[in-house]
Amino acid sequence: MKTTFEDHEVIASLLSGDDKALLTLYDKYAGALYGVILRMCRDEAKAQDLLQETFIKIWKNIGGYDASKGRFYTWAYRVARNTTLNSMRSKKKLIQTEDLSVYDTKEVNEEEPDYAALKGSIKTLEPHHQEAIALVYYRGYTHKQAHKAMGVPLGTFKSYVRQALKQLRETYNHKLVYILFILQLMA
Amino acid sequence: MDKKRILEEGLLELYLTGELSEDLTAIVEKALGEDKELKAHFDVLEADFERMGIEQAITPPNLVKTQLKNALEQPGIRKINWLPLSIAATVALLFGLSSFWLYGKWQDAESSLSTLQSQTSQLRRQVDKLESEFRLTSNHFKSINNPDVIPLVLYGNQKASNGKAVAYVNHKSQQVLVNPKGLPALPKDKTYQMWSDVDGEMINMGTLPTDSELVTLKYIEDAESLNITIEPAGGNDHPTVEELVSYVIL
Repeated sequence: MKTTFEDHEVIASLLSGDDKALLTLYDKYAGALYGVILRMCRDEAKAQDLLQETFIKIWKNIGGYDASKGRFYTWAYRVARNTTLNSMRSKKKLIQTEDLSVYDTKEVNEEEPDYAALKGSIKTLEPHHQEAIALVYYRGYTHKQAHKAMGVPLGTFKSYVRQALKQLRETYNHKLVYILFILQLMA
Repeated sequence: MDKKRILEEGLLELYLTGELSEDLTAIVEKALGEDKELKAHFDVLEADFERMGIEQAITPPNLVKTQLKNALEQPGIRKINWLPLSIAATVALLFGLSSFWLYGKWQDAESSLSTLQSQTSQLRRQVDKLESEFRLTSNHFKSINNPDVIPLVLYGNQKASNGKAVAYVNHKSQQVLVNPKGLPALPKDKTYQMWSDVDGEMINMGTLPTDSELVTLKYIEDAESLNITIEPAGGNDHPTVEELVSYVIL
């Protein structure tokens, strides 16, 4: 899925004031963005509010999206990520002023919810590659925070991410070849 | 910053998630705009990232979409779409200007209308006047241009040399009309007066103001002649025979 011709048309409609176009974008990208938001904040009710907030921001700021600089998904991902991080930061501040120990204890003792787990091709990666991807793309860590969390140098961490993405691409390509093969057999 | 460094330092991965500072973002964007190979590399990275996003997608509850729809319908959070607003403002401005222009035109029209109304009433009065004059003239003409009318010319004597008056007598309708225009003008204290001679007695028919074209006089039965004398202004009860100007026998 890339920023297709249809995406350009939908975005143009949204820019010209057609609100229904936002729902078309929602149908296409809400699942992927909800996957990011929910894994980051780990609170279903909160994640639903943040998903709505993300699309309201997309709606209000669509004029700032420049298709020549990248795909719509990348831009929307940044909106979702920043919205979620801001919300988590303000929550953390609020809790810290009241009772720091409660938050910390809760986070440490919290079990990993089912939805937080990554699925599909990522599970075929080596554990440290899986963790690198999860931290950076699904936990909202910056690369600098993530390498510290994993206890490896930044350069090493960056190469983890790059290798992980490369291996994923190969997995996808193999899947694609397999699907094409099946399709040819069926034809 | 060269392509090699951007790739080695993993700046594209940082750019993807929006982690770069403004300066580095500008540098990477510039490099992507200029270097097709680097851009192709980033395109692949984005495609992988998006594919991963789709694979990790979690379907949100329908409630979120319903709430989003409701939020879109709330007037308070609507984004400002300047295009229709600017069109509306332009239309309002044009409306204002055209109203101002139309007001000016209306004032002009009011003024023209009042002028026209005054001209119309003036013309109406002229028409009325002309109509009444025409009616009078027409009546006079009918009175004159009639087989029963006898036209008589009264030539002035030495008291009114070269003067003449024309009398139109209709015995049937018992009407007498006289045109005294041909008589010489008199001083203000004098007037011409016409008389009918009936068995030697002069009977007053009326005065003849020389500024009138046609004067209606009294018809006297059995008149033998018509006579014009000069009398004091306003007319006389008895003719001043010495001042006889003209006469004609019927």
